[in-house]
Amino acid sequence: MSDPIIRTEKLGKVYDNGYRTCALAEVDLEIEPYTFSCIMGPSGHGKSTLLHLLGGLDRPSSGDVYINGANLAGMTSDQLADFRNRTVGFVFQFFNLIPVLSVLENVQIASMLAGMPDREQKERAVRLLESLGLAEKAVARPNQLSGGQRQRVAVARALINDPDILMMDEPTGNLDSTSESELLDLICSLHGKGKTILVVTHSETVAARSQRIIRIRDGRIVSAEI
Amino acid sequence: MKPATLVLRNVTRRRSRFAFTLLGITVGIASLVTLLSLGTGLEKEVRKQADVLGAHLVVTPKGWCAYEQISVLTGETLPEAIPDADVKRIASIKGVQALPYLTQRTAIENQPVPVVGILPGPMEVFKKWEVEKGDYRLDERGVVVGHGIAKQFKLFVDDVVALRGKDFRIRGILSEVGNRDDLAIYLDLPVAQELYGVGDKVSFISVKVDDISQIDKYILEIRNAANVAVVSDKQLLKSVLGIVGAVGNALQLIAAVAILAACFGIINTMMTAIYERRREIGILQAVGARRKTIFSLFLAESGFYGLAGGLLGVVVGFLFSYAAAPYISQNEFTAFLGSEQTVRLFDPAITLEALSFSVAVSILSGLYPAWKASRLSPVEAISYE
Repeated sequence: MSDPIIRTEKLGKVYDNGYRTCALAEVDLEIEPYTFSCIMGPSGHGKSTLLHLLGGLDRPSSGDVYINGANLAGMTSDQLADFRNRTVGFVFQFFNLIPVLSVLENVQIASMLAGMPDREQKERAVRLLESLGLAEKAVARPNQLSGGQRQRVAVARALINDPDILMMDEPTGNLDSTSESELLDLICSLHGKGKTILVVTHSETVAARSQRIIRIRDGRIVSAEI
Repeated sequence: MKPATLVLRNVTRRRSRFAFTLLGITVGIASLVTLLSLGTGLEKEVRKQADVLGAHLVVTPKGWCAYEQISVLTGETLPEAIPDADVKRIASIKGVQALPYLTQRTAIENQPVPVVGILPGPMEVFKKWEVEKGDYRLDERGVVVGHGIAKQFKLFVDDVVALRGKDFRIRGILSEVGNRDDLAIYLDLPVAQELYGVGDKVSFISVKVDDISQIDKYILEIRNAANVAVVSDKQLLKSVLGIVGAVGNALQLIAAVAILAACFGIINTMMTAIYERRREIGILQAVGARRKTIFSLFLAESGFYGLAGGLLGVVVGFLFSYAAAPYISQNEFTAFLGSEQTVRLFDPAITLEALSFSVAVSILSGLYPAWKASRLSPVEAISYE
C-alpha cells in the first residue's frame, strides 16, 4: 500500500462567532493517491469544513493536515496560496466563474497566478477546453453557458496547473441529471488519468461511482468504507 | 492573460459607477490644473508687467496696501492722492526721472477699459512706444489708444470715443507691445485730471534713476521731498507675487478639497466593489492568489481611476483655463490674465505634476480597500452569498 496523499491527525475545527460551534473533532483520515473518494453526511455536519481544511482554504483549530507529507498547519499564507495553486484544484457547487472574464480567461486564471507565460497559459487552456468539448465556447462569457458547461469550465480551471488532487464541493448540486451524469463521466475519466479525487456530495449517484465513501456526522467520521 | 486584463475588466464592469467615480477625480484634477495653469500664467504676467513698467521705484500715496500696489501693474482704477507739487518736488531731485500716472476707467460697449492720464512727451521716450496709425498727439480733444483696445473694439484713427460724456477723437493707435500698454486709452494728464475732477492729483509716480547702485539714497531723498511711500520695483514685484501666491494657495486648497472628495469617491467605489466581489476574491484565493496579489489587483484598480481621471482632468483643466482666462480678467488679482498668450494650452510640467498627484492620491485612497480585500478569509469569501 502506498503512502497516503492526504492524512489528518486529530483534526479539529471550532468556529467562535459569539458562541462556539465545534464543526470537526479529532478527525483521523488517510486517503490513498489516485483514488476517488466521497465525503457524505447531513448538511451542517462538517463535510465542507473538512474539505476546506484539506485544501488549505482554512486553518484547523487543532490537529494537523498532511498533503504529500507536508503539514499545512506549518505553512505561511503565501505557502498555502502556492499549495492551492499547484497541488489542489477546487470545483464548487455554484461554479464561481468570474463573470467579466471569458471562458478561456477563466480557465487561464490559475496559470496566470502561477506566473506562467501568456502563450503557454493560452495553449494549455485551449487544450483543456478542447478535451472537455468547450473549444467553441472559449470566447463566451459564463452567463452564456448552461450549468453543465459552466461546471466543466470550473473543472478546466481546476486542472490548468495539473494538480495532484481535485477537490469538489457538491459539484453536481446545481446540475440536472444529464449534466450530472456527464460531469461524473468526466470525473471518472480524470480519475482514470491518475488524479486523486475527493468529492463532498449528498448525491448517491456520485457516491455510487466512487471507490470510497467517508461518512461524517456531528463533525466526526463515522465510517470510511471502501 | 495578464493581471492588467482582470483589472481593466473589473474597473469597467459597472459602467455608471465607473463613470461617476472617474468624473469625481476628473473634476478634482481639472480644478487643480486650471488653478496651476492660471497661477503660472499669472506669475509670468506679473513679472512681465513689472518689466514693462520700466521703473526702478514706484511712488505711491502713504498707506496704500499691496492690493492697490497690484493695480499699478494692472492699470486698474486707483485713488488719486499725490498732488502736483509733490510730483514736481520729486522730479526736481537730481538723477531722477519721474513719470506721473492717473489711472481711471471708462466703459466701451459695456466693457471696462483703463484710461490713463500721462505726460505724452516723457512717456513716449520712457516707454519707447511706436505709432502704428495716425499721430502720437494727446491734447484737449485727442487721445491715443493701445493696439489691443483698437483691435478689440474695432477703433480707427479719427473715430470718436466718449469719456465721461465728452467726445475725444482718436489721433493715433500705438503699435503692439504685447503687454497691458496695448489695453488702455491714453489722455494728456491735465485733461484727464480735469475730466475726472481730481484737481492736480495723480495716482502714482514711476521713477527711473540714473545710478541704480544709489537706490537707497534716492528713496530717502524722495521721502524727504514729499509725504509719500516709495517702493522699489523688486519690492513691488515681491509684494504682488506674495498676494498672487496667497490667492493661488487658497484656490489650490479649494482644489485639494475637490480632490479629497474624489478620493472618498474612490474609497467608496472600491469598498463597494470588494463587498460585491467577495466571492470572486475567494475564488482567486482558492486558485492560488496570494494576499499581496489581491492587494496589488485592487490597488491597481484605484491607480487606474487616478490615471484615467488624471488624464481627463488635465485635458479638461487646460481647455477650461485657456478658454476662461480672457473672461476672468475683471479684477486686480486676475487682470494680468487679460493679456494674450498668458495661459498655455499645454504645459508638460503641470501635466506631469497633475498626473503624478492624481495617481498618487488614488493609490493612497485605494490602500485601505485593497488591504481589506487582501485580508478576507478564503472560506468566508467563497461562502459569501
